[in-house]
Amino acid sequence: MSDTKEKKDMTQVKLSGRDILQDILSSSILRIVIAILLAFVFGLLLVIFTNARVLESLPNFFGNPGEFFAAASSSIGAFFEAFFKGAIFNPNGKTVEAQFRPLTESLRFAGPLIAAGLGVALTFRVGMFNIGAMGQILFGSAFAAYASFQFHLPVGVHLVVAVIFGLIGASIWSAIAGWLKAQTGAHEVIVTIMMNYIALNLVTYAMRTDILNPGATSTTPQAHAPDPNAVLPLLLGPGFKIHWGFILVLASVAVYWWLMEKSSIGFKFRAVGFNPDAAKTAGINVKRIYVLSMAFSGLFVGIAAVNQTLGDSLRITPGIDGGIGFEAITVALLGGSNAIGVLLAGLLFGAMKATGPAMQSAGVSPDILSVVQGLIILFVAAPPLIKAMFRLPNQRSTIAIDAPTTNKSHKKAKALKEAGVDSATKAEATEEGSEK
Amino acid sequence: MNKITKASISGLAIISSAALLAGCAGGTTEPTDPVETSFLACGVSDEGSWSDRSFNQAAYEGLEKAKAEIAGVDIKGFESHGPSDFGPNLDQAVADGCDVIFAVGFNFSDGSLKTAVEANAASHFVWIDGWNEGWDNLKPISYKMAESSYLSGYLAAAYSKTGVVATYGGMDIPAVTDFMLGFENGAHQYGIDSGKSITVLPWQFVGDFGNTQVAKSISDGFIADNADVIFPVAGSLFTATYESIKESGKDVVFMGVDKDVALTSPEYADLTLTSVEKRMTQAVFDVVKDLSSGGAFTTTDYVGTLANDGTGLSDFYDFDGKVDSAIKAKLEELKSAIIAGTIDPTKDPR
Repeated sequence: MSDTKEKKDMTQVKLSGRDILQDILSSSILRIVIAILLAFVFGLLLVIFTNARVLESLPNFFGNPGEFFAAASSSIGAFFEAFFKGAIFNPNGKTVEAQFRPLTESLRFAGPLIAAGLGVALTFRVGMFNIGAMGQILFGSAFAAYASFQFHLPVGVHLVVAVIFGLIGASIWSAIAGWLKAQTGAHEVIVTIMMNYIALNLVTYAMRTDILNPGATSTTPQAHAPDPNAVLPLLLGPGFKIHWGFILVLASVAVYWWLMEKSSIGFKFRAVGFNPDAAKTAGINVKRIYVLSMAFSGLFVGIAAVNQTLGDSLRITPGIDGGIGFEAITVALLGGSNAIGVLLAGLLFGAMKATGPAMQSAGVSPDILSVVQGLIILFVAAPPLIKAMFRLPNQRSTIAIDAPTTNKSHKKAKALKEAGVDSATKAEATEEGSEK
Repeated sequence: MNKITKASISGLAIISSAALLAGCAGGTTEPTDPVETSFLACGVSDEGSWSDRSFNQAAYEGLEKAKAEIAGVDIKGFESHGPSDFGPNLDQAVADGCDVIFAVGFNFSDGSLKTAVEANAASHFVWIDGWNEGWDNLKPISYKMAESSYLSGYLAAAYSKTGVVATYGGMDIPAVTDFMLGFENGAHQYGIDSGKSITVLPWQFVGDFGNTQVAKSISDGFIADNADVIFPVAGSLFTATYESIKESGKDVVFMGVDKDVALTSPEYADLTLTSVEKRMTQAVFDVVKDLSSGGAFTTTDYVGTLANDGTGLSDFYDFDGKVDSAIKAKLEELKSAIIAGTIDPTKDPR
């Protein structure tokens, strides 16, 4: 038994990171739905067992189990009621605006998550991990903030210029990591993580000096407020906080879809993602694709930066990223790195963010939602566990997913898998050839 | 590639599960009270949690005290994890029909409170460390922290063996620098009175109230420059200073702020000379008590001073024997002088 287990671990180690990534990204919709449901079940358990009334009823569980179940169901009811009221529609709102505001708040929070999620997703499709969305958002924000108050341009033009600056800032910062990978082979995970800290300190410096904070008397890092001309206008009037940044996000979803599914550069991205060696053989300049894909990734992340900087009239501080850079990774994973998936995943996570105050109001700690988010990713990224728990059929013969069997069948499965991957890349290569 | 990719995936899982555990531990779920409530008092926190052992907690305990001691009062707390939560939390508090909403902290000056106050003329707000910009539905609560900090600076200089004391702040905002200014003036005054050479190291700022790494490196720098009394005006970041002192192995102490740190965080009491208390708990309680018993809402400032005991030094506890009785007497004398107005603790020291 232990022998079999050891062998299994060994074969799992031999699976390359690219295989695991592709396996996660090719998760079936059923698997993702199950992961989300399961995460909510765990979340509800936390809701129940952090509820004061439930805890009071526990010592007396055998004496009066009814009270426990009543308390548990009322806490679950409160959770769902708060989620609905906080993220979708609040029937108690005094005005129609107040009733619909939760939905627009969900969209507002979802916007930057979707955009940054697309950026990270793009690199996943190329077989790379962009962990640097945080640094890219900071750099994009710094560029956008600079253009937003240093220049004084007419209405309309100024906003466009500021947005373009934001996109360029994020893209440059991202492309540096791609260039380092292409030139030196430096792993983009390490490089992008390190560059997050470099960006944080550079931007903090700029916000302490005249570059971003001219005429300031305080040493607290903060950028000058944008000119009114450079602010993204409100989308639905003063009753709602949602702004035109969300339209930019929707446009970028469409662009991402076209880029990855229809354009020839997107085809090259995917080919490198499947198998860089085969792509190289087929005549694709893989190094160039590394740099280009990181640059494109940065453009999408830049949309998130612009949303944060020019949209939500917040103080522009080194904390402007607000955790979006890392949440984007989870959004991209959950969304399977395709346009619609990332859009839906971003909307779900945005709704969870928007519902925080309503949750607190209902006596539920909003931290439970962070737990649910973490669990969703855990379950999506741990397909062997899900498959084993629910005995789902294998769509792809992957060793890690196979139910524990004998050593012999592992070898067979591995051979099958290799054959499968090979034929897939061959097919891609032929397609590339025929296109030319 | 292989290992790193795996590591990054499991890293994500670990981060999420760490967030999970932290979330459970810090949960501040309020039981929904079925008892009839006639007054609902709400609070929106500054960045951080209600259990930060410092600023936010001091305010929230005022609400909890009101709930426990006044019949018919219920409370709701909204934690902000960052400035982007201020606006939505205030909106939610208004939507919940709170009878009074406490905005805890100077950082609400980012515009979120202004928007909420102006959009909801019928709601009553109280802004701690804030001011009134001509609104008739907001009451500011502020503190003259320089007064008690002056005493702490005097004490620090008298206690110091090296003659070097230091202070750092969370952010360079008036609510923080008020402490630091009083501290520096008090320390210099001891130098003048005793004829000894007293150095106050240049002020440093962390940039926020959560970055323990920066707080620790600032503290390390202070200790390397021979400071043996450190005054961190940065919420819960005193824990980083504590760690820094322990690692240095030197005979250095620090002073707490906002709450009586030696009492509320006894695990840090062995290095806590005293604390400069900002007694928000009482102020919040008093406001809720007054309003819930039918008192009319006024926009009059509440200003905590040494005179009304809104601020003051904590007990010395373990350090009581190490502070000279002549110094204790002097501190009382200074306190009376500040109350009488003969000493200005906020004068520019340079």
